[in-house]
Amino acid sequence: MAKVELKSVVKRFGDVRVVHGIDLEIADNEFIVLVGPSGCGKSTILRMVAGLESISDGEIYIGDRCVNEVDPKSRNVAMVFQNYALYPHMTVHDNMGFSLDMAKRPQKEINEKVRKAASMLELEPYLDRKPEALSGGQRQRVAMGRAIVRQPDVFLFDEPLSNLDAQLRTQMRMELKKLHMKFSTTTIYVTHDQIEAMTLADRIVILKDGLIQQVGTPVEVYEKPANVFVAQFIGNPPMNILEGTVARDQGRLGVRTKRSFFPLQEDRKNLWEGQKVLFGLRPDAIKIGDSLNRIPPEWRCTAQVELTEILGGQSLLDLVVDDEISLIAEVEGRVQMQAGSSVEVGFCFDRVVLFDPETEEALSSVAQLEGTAEGTTPERDIAHKKEIEVHTN
Amino acid sequence: MLKKLGIAVCASAMLTAGAIPAQAADKVADELEIFSWWAGDEGPALEALIDIHGKKFPKVDVVNATVTGGSGVNAKAVLKTRMLGGNPPDSFQVHAGQELIGTWVKADRMEDLTPLFEQEGWMDVFPEGLVKLIGTDDGIWSVPVNIHRSNVMWYVPDNLNKWGVRPPQNWEEFIEIAPKLKAQGVVPLALAQNWTANHLWESVALASLGAEKWDKLWTGELPFNSPEAVAAWDLFGKVLDYTNTDASSLSWQQATDMVVDGRAAFNVMGDWAAGYMSTTKKLKPGTGFGWVASPGTNGQFMFLADSFGLPKKSPNRDQAIEWLKILGSKDGSDAFNPLKGSISARTDSDLSKYNDYAKSASKDFSHDRIVGSLAHGVTANEGFMNDFATVMEMYLKTRNSDAAGKAMVSIAMKNKIGQ
Amino acid sequence: MREVSRDRIKAFLTLLPSIVLIGIFVYGFIGNTIWISLTDWGGVGALAEDPQISYIGFQNYVDLFTGFLEGRFRQDLVNAVYYSVLLLAGAVGLGMFIAILLDRKPMGEDFLRTIFLYPMSLSFIVSGTIWRWLLAPQGGVNILPTYAGMEPLSFQWLASKESVLLFNWQNLLGIILYIAAFILIIVGLLGLKRDPNRAMKRWILPGVIIGAIVWLFGDLLPQAMIMEEMHGLNLATLGIILATVWQYSGYTMALYLAGFNGISQDLRHAAMLDGASEWDYYRRIAIPMLKPITISAVIILSHISLKMFDLIFAMTGPDNAETGHPALNMYLTTFRANDFAKGAAIAIVLFMVAAMFIIPYLISSYRQQKGE
Repeated sequence: MAKVELKSVVKRFGDVRVVHGIDLEIADNEFIVLVGPSGCGKSTILRMVAGLESISDGEIYIGDRCVNEVDPKSRNVAMVFQNYALYPHMTVHDNMGFSLDMAKRPQKEINEKVRKAASMLELEPYLDRKPEALSGGQRQRVAMGRAIVRQPDVFLFDEPLSNLDAQLRTQMRMELKKLHMKFSTTTIYVTHDQIEAMTLADRIVILKDGLIQQVGTPVEVYEKPANVFVAQFIGNPPMNILEGTVARDQGRLGVRTKRSFFPLQEDRKNLWEGQKVLFGLRPDAIKIGDSLNRIPPEWRCTAQVELTEILGGQSLLDLVVDDEISLIAEVEGRVQMQAGSSVEVGFCFDRVVLFDPETEEALSSVAQLEGTAEGTTPERDIAHKKEIEVHTN
Repeated sequence: MLKKLGIAVCASAMLTAGAIPAQAADKVADELEIFSWWAGDEGPALEALIDIHGKKFPKVDVVNATVTGGSGVNAKAVLKTRMLGGNPPDSFQVHAGQELIGTWVKADRMEDLTPLFEQEGWMDVFPEGLVKLIGTDDGIWSVPVNIHRSNVMWYVPDNLNKWGVRPPQNWEEFIEIAPKLKAQGVVPLALAQNWTANHLWESVALASLGAEKWDKLWTGELPFNSPEAVAAWDLFGKVLDYTNTDASSLSWQQATDMVVDGRAAFNVMGDWAAGYMSTTKKLKPGTGFGWVASPGTNGQFMFLADSFGLPKKSPNRDQAIEWLKILGSKDGSDAFNPLKGSISARTDSDLSKYNDYAKSASKDFSHDRIVGSLAHGVTANEGFMNDFATVMEMYLKTRNSDAAGKAMVSIAMKNKIGQ
Repeated sequence: MREVSRDRIKAFLTLLPSIVLIGIFVYGFIGNTIWISLTDWGGVGALAEDPQISYIGFQNYVDLFTGFLEGRFRQDLVNAVYYSVLLLAGAVGLGMFIAILLDRKPMGEDFLRTIFLYPMSLSFIVSGTIWRWLLAPQGGVNILPTYAGMEPLSFQWLASKESVLLFNWQNLLGIILYIAAFILIIVGLLGLKRDPNRAMKRWILPGVIIGAIVWLFGDLLPQAMIMEEMHGLNLATLGIILATVWQYSGYTMALYLAGFNGISQDLRHAAMLDGASEWDYYRRIAIPMLKPITISAVIILSHISLKMFDLIFAMTGPDNAETGHPALNMYLTTFRANDFAKGAAIAIVLFMVAAMFIIPYLISSYRQQKGE
């Protein structure tokens, strides 16, 4: 059990900088997920924590100890690799017990610990098998078992689920979560899959090009993305982003596009008329049908349906407003509509995020979650939504 | 894997297929294939003979089929597979004596050359003892092209003076002076790998037994475990005590080098050593290096000879006979031997063409008692020679003369020596 | 169904030419060699156009193993065993060691790899000649210490007449039984951890019993020969083994290096995180994983050692019994002594020894295939 701290950590490969000074504090028992597109440096950071890559600059602390010069084996961290990295010539039992064996623990203790971990992971029947005789999911479990048996200070996961099929991935994801709840060990988890990030993490770290874009809870990064990149990387389908200008229409504050006007909440600060902005709205902040009841009438309008896609419990609608603006909406229930037909839609303008078009950073004052109808239960909502998505992949 | 091993195991059978050089299937009338192991240093001597043949028969295409490899081990193997495969060369090189007789004559593969010897008048120009040793009661089987002497002891005169010794006349004398040499840090007698031990043995045995009894060993009149024969082993053992311990890792040239460099006093080796010392080491015969008959064998000439025979079913028999005529002729013999460093088997050769050593050897050859060499195939067949190598190894390890004598009896019986 | 059988016919027809050729030129000749080894073809008249050959059963084999004159063959056989064992230990050990060093990716790894692999490309005759010079008593290796100001070595690399680990051929039967007992006990000890009961019953106990019986009643065993005959490890063979190891460790190095490169880096990292040192990684992970490579190296090297011929020929000549080898003996017996039958018998003995190495390998790989 230990906290992990990264202070201005830099990684260079020759002249190429892949990690540009990362500062990150990970609390004891926290489950943190590093997410980002490939090449963002997330695996490199993980491997620097593990000690498999040297640290070019900066410092990494595990607990209170600076581990820059500490051997991987002395850092007391356990890692689960993307391809599991099981020892193919050893039985499951020996794979799981290898670290204890290396630590010269008595055979009896090894057997005991391996058996305990195996029973937790339902691997008992397979202890005498070699990895090649196991399914992908079982191998994944063995890899986790190998990490658990050591009782490390920190668990490191390097895209551990990406070699599994979708169904198994969901299942293993839940088990991972349960294991973390049981052991409460500090965990750093690397993935490029934002759904894993959203579901597993206590906090998510979104990385791009070796720089941290945002650190926050899943709800924070979903509802209050720090920039356009985060807004589009997190959430599927991504956030609708429109270009517009801040304006007043009939006294109301809003954003004007060529033909339309989208009102904003009046308590927005730091905005002036004529200011160019990017206007962001999550697809699930667009409502139709019964859900419209909760939306004030002035936040509604009529849109043309271009296409509908039924995901199961939800549907995706491609909408065009005022013959000008394309939006994707994600709505509850199975919605079947003719292309070209009109539908009344409502926007939860309280969930609008505004970005500076130059810097693509979010403008400082963002919409309040309080006071919106949906705002109280976004977490459950998101989890539920993603679950279904996985099944329809 | 198994396949490879299989191939390795039946390599013997396969050699037949692999070793045959490309040959014209239907014989163009004028062709002559000569099979030998003379390449490298000895190549020019063979070429000289081929040149003479070429001048005489310009239209005949001579195929010079040489298979290289120490003293013909590989050539003999190839020849055997060719003969077994029914594809004999027109004429092939073979050590004169029992090596030819035991292997090829007894197998009824050779033509009797007595008519050729008579027709060419060779009965008179080759020494009688020689003709007897290269023939049997049924005929004469090959034409000797050269004579080498086996029982020669080599030394460097200046070195001997320095060490205060003279070339020993017999082995007793050698055993007397040897400790004196040893005391000065000199190896009394340089020896090389296994076959040179056989070579030394025959010189020692000849000295111990004398020419008469030596001959009787091979006719079966004197048993190999007789006291005299065992005594020869005893003497050999005493001589061995004064040889270098690293012998088996040296080539014969390296043993000769020991003498030349002054690390050893003497070396018993065939007279090809004269060629090595005068040509390669640039020493002058007589002053740079000296020689005597090996101790106790003065007046005896232990010879070995290369010869060519005429196999039955030779594809170009007429040309092969012409080739043999050149080999036996004075011209041919005197063209070949100065280049090869050997002497002519003919007693009438033109000595002016030869170097000092060869002149002295020629003189000895014409009046010495001639005996055959064992180590070089004159007195015993190949089976015996092969087994003798084993007996020698046994002796070198155990130094047991009685056991060696007994072993000799059984290998003689096995290989039908003297029967 | 019909399509399957048609495919089979096609496959059979495609393979037919190779089957016929291998049948004739490999197995046919093996059969022929076996037949010759059971005859008395040899000696005077062996090369006649129609030699007299008669069947004499296993007399040639009996001669080889117990005959008075065939002591040399027996020493050759003993030599062959030592050549095999020491070549395997040397070339596999050294090759593995160099591979481990190069696997750590030192500077100039490519260059070093080529250097180490280079001896492989030399013919045995060339390397044999080089090593004969290097191992000359007054030169090469023996004078190396003088460069460090020490006394030169005086070891007679190729000419030593000494032998160690001597045993009496008369007691051959007892020795074979001891070896069998030893192997049984070793196999048992290796299996002890996994299944103690089975290891005890099937391996250790019979091994101990056989060993004890031979130890107690060994005198009652029939003797292989009428007279004492000592054989052992001739020290003169060490020079030849040195040259062979030099020539082949580059080859095993290449095998292992390829194997090490094929192991995912993640495994090394996983092992490091599991607390393994570099040494632990190779000992516990990398080398056990390369067991198939070790097995093929052992098979290849053991059959190379059984065919060792040219190297010995070049280094110590054909007639040096100290360093002799059955393959060389076979050649001389057949083509110099004209004893074709006995030569064939030696060939078959060699063939059987090779089979002892290879058949267990074939069986195990066949079983593995079936198991999949």
